[in-house]
Amino acid sequence: MTYTQEIQNKARELLGGGQVEVVIGYEVGPRGRTRPAFVYDPQDVERLVWNQACTHNLTTYLNDHLKPKHPEKKQGANSEARRVAVVVKACDSRAINVLLAENRFERQQLHVIGVACEGILEDAGQAGNERSAHQLVTNDPPQYQARCRHCNERTPLVYDTLIGKPESHLGTGPNPARPDAYQRLQTMTPAERAEFWLSQFDRCIRCYACRQACPMCDCPTCLYERDDSLWVGMGIGLNEKRAFHLGRAFHLAGRCVGCNECERVCPMDIPISLLNRRLAQEVEAAFGHRAGIAPVPAPFVTVLSNPGG
Amino acid sequence: MYEPRIIGFLCTWCSYTGADTAGIARLKYPANLRAVRVPCSGRVSPELIMRTFDQGADGVLVLGCHIGECHYDTGNHRTAKRLPVLQALMTFAGLEPERLRLDWVSASEGERFARIVNEFTEAVRALGPCQWRQPANGRRHLDLRAASLETSLPERGGQP
Amino acid sequence: MKLTTHEELSSWLDSLAENLNLIAPRAVDGVPLYRPVQHSQEVLWDFTRPVLSVKEAFFPATERLLTIEKGNRQIRLIESLSEEPQVVFGVRPCDARGVKMLDALFTAAPGDPYYARRRANTTLVGLACREMGPTCFCTSMGGSPDDASNMDVMLYPIEEGYLVQAVTSKGQALLDNYALQSREHSTGQAEQKTAFVYEQAEKYPLPERSAWAAQFEDAYWDQVAERCLSCRICAYVCPTCRCFDVRDEALPEAMSNASPSGNGSSQFERIRCWDSCTGEAYRRIAGGHNPRAEKGQRLRNRFLCKFDYYPRQYALGSAACTGCGRCIDACPVNIDITEVMQHIAEVSQC
Repeated sequence: MTYTQEIQNKARELLGGGQVEVVIGYEVGPRGRTRPAFVYDPQDVERLVWNQACTHNLTTYLNDHLKPKHPEKKQGANSEARRVAVVVKACDSRAINVLLAENRFERQQLHVIGVACEGILEDAGQAGNERSAHQLVTNDPPQYQARCRHCNERTPLVYDTLIGKPESHLGTGPNPARPDAYQRLQTMTPAERAEFWLSQFDRCIRCYACRQACPMCDCPTCLYERDDSLWVGMGIGLNEKRAFHLGRAFHLAGRCVGCNECERVCPMDIPISLLNRRLAQEVEAAFGHRAGIAPVPAPFVTVLSNPGG
Repeated sequence: MYEPRIIGFLCTWCSYTGADTAGIARLKYPANLRAVRVPCSGRVSPELIMRTFDQGADGVLVLGCHIGECHYDTGNHRTAKRLPVLQALMTFAGLEPERLRLDWVSASEGERFARIVNEFTEAVRALGPCQWRQPANGRRHLDLRAASLETSLPERGGQP
Repeated sequence: MKLTTHEELSSWLDSLAENLNLIAPRAVDGVPLYRPVQHSQEVLWDFTRPVLSVKEAFFPATERLLTIEKGNRQIRLIESLSEEPQVVFGVRPCDARGVKMLDALFTAAPGDPYYARRRANTTLVGLACREMGPTCFCTSMGGSPDDASNMDVMLYPIEEGYLVQAVTSKGQALLDNYALQSREHSTGQAEQKTAFVYEQAEKYPLPERSAWAAQFEDAYWDQVAERCLSCRICAYVCPTCRCFDVRDEALPEAMSNASPSGNGSSQFERIRCWDSCTGEAYRRIAGGHNPRAEKGQRLRNRFLCKFDYYPRQYALGSAACTGCGRCIDACPVNIDITEVMQHIAEVSQC
């Protein structure tokens, strides 16, 4: 049985038995693009697929779908709490741990369909064989995404149903034809680094797709979108854009799980994941914490156990 | 002549009082520091520090109580964890690390306060003016050769 | 129509770049955008279309409207209007059509001086598309990849070079003043330009304007919007989306007492920047009520504005969509305007 069939069967079972209200998975649209799908009816489960373009982190939809119907009551007292099923890859599953640690919803509200993913391709999110407007300077065939090349755990960390064989890392290593700037940035002078980031942020249009795609970015009013411009101005200028990206990266320190969707959705190909990677490295070095490995909160919300350490 | 503009976030209970102590003892320290009193160093958030640099500060000094002496018990624990991570981020983004410093000063340590401010001011002076802030509205690519909006402003102090 | 070669066109562009602000498609870290260029070698050829439309040249993402200087006894308002003459080269017909639709709003009385000044100072040099991209559908929206009607100069790429057509007197002046070398085309047939054959897999149905509001209560909007992220990509890449926010903000100099300004003045700016109805806070009003708190409501609004409200309010004579297809390429979750059009067309036939 293919992964697609397994997912469809599971969805049919969960929806038919009334165990969940909705299955959040993937479908293929008329242009051949894979996209998120919300299936409510067991008759509709044939919409669901699994393929190498299932790039979206579907856990970003969980906060909305699992909102308590009566927020004034304590979580456990919500006997009418919604239940949903969600299809996740290993990277997405780490986000579930972070959200659980932050008390967004309760574990029993979720039926996690975990897929031991075999890698997602770079042109995922674009139409089938068609080239995006960006792919004009290279004729390389699509490769695995950078996050897949560095993937260390293909089996989801959280699941109720596992599809595929638990296996260790896919990690085929970095693509030498496409070196990223991470190492290069470490060796630059401060002035060169500043210039690098300014030239990247120059293209940013503050569309907020990066923020909206992120499961962990869920503040009712984003600090950087306040009506009173308290922390950053409204303008789409260099200072503001840099403040937004750096500030958002900081707010995700110890929480970002490296799904890289923020970078994938950016219409301007800005390599913002470099910021998240730097902070993930720093948080691991300073606190021994990796986001999403277990449902424990990020180190900033706890007190020092070893002052001065 | 470049005089560094230093903003210091001083916590009410320890470091701000430490600054008072330095003043009472008539200790000399550079006048470049502009003190901003906060209830606790834990109030100093990353966006506050970033905005300070975006507004044109050449250096930012955050002084709190020694660990274990925070008036709010664990406020300075948060600062102790946050600032190094913020430092790593700002350095990665191109700010010289010497421009942001976190240290601990208690209410009675007037001399320590004066010494730290002196050291920090000289370190920032040695780096020259901070290039972090971009002109308001920044580099707007479509106006490459348009008259700079900054220079179209009237001279300060000119006739109304 | 005259014929010019690629080399002659390049040297004309060099000449323009030396004397004016020349904006042309350029790859910025691999991303194709309309940007200022200093030399014809920076220009990008042979690709479908830039990621952003040409509306940036008239309606920038951020613009200072006023500088406000508060003195001891006076407040001075200083307007900042752009004076720089600019030429945009390589404009796609879908983008030029979008500019025409923006004109309807920005030049309607009393008129927006910021937009109008840029518009008056800009010459549009169009470049016909040899073929349509996989997500292009301008021909379904009343446009065409070789439509010259909104340009000042139009170029048609053919095997021997480019056919040059001066569409307006402004365009003719640009050709003459910077001496574009050209000659009569040997066959002398204007129809040569229509040698392009725009094969397309599908033509998408364009529903009647009245069909859209009739579907106001359709559950379809909520269904499609479930996957919407409420970002602003679709509105920002669109040639005709035009909402903006205006705010007065303090300039940093205003807040620094370390370098006193002498007469106690402080400075502020009034800026405007792009905004989008897809954002959650867009319709939130004082008191906190938000009539479009749900994604389905916001998605519905964007499509109805595009196909009904804006055309009706400004008597556009067509839907406010030029069929450029950028939103289809850029939407992270594949919300597809052509699918929406098909749905409306289907249900309105019942």
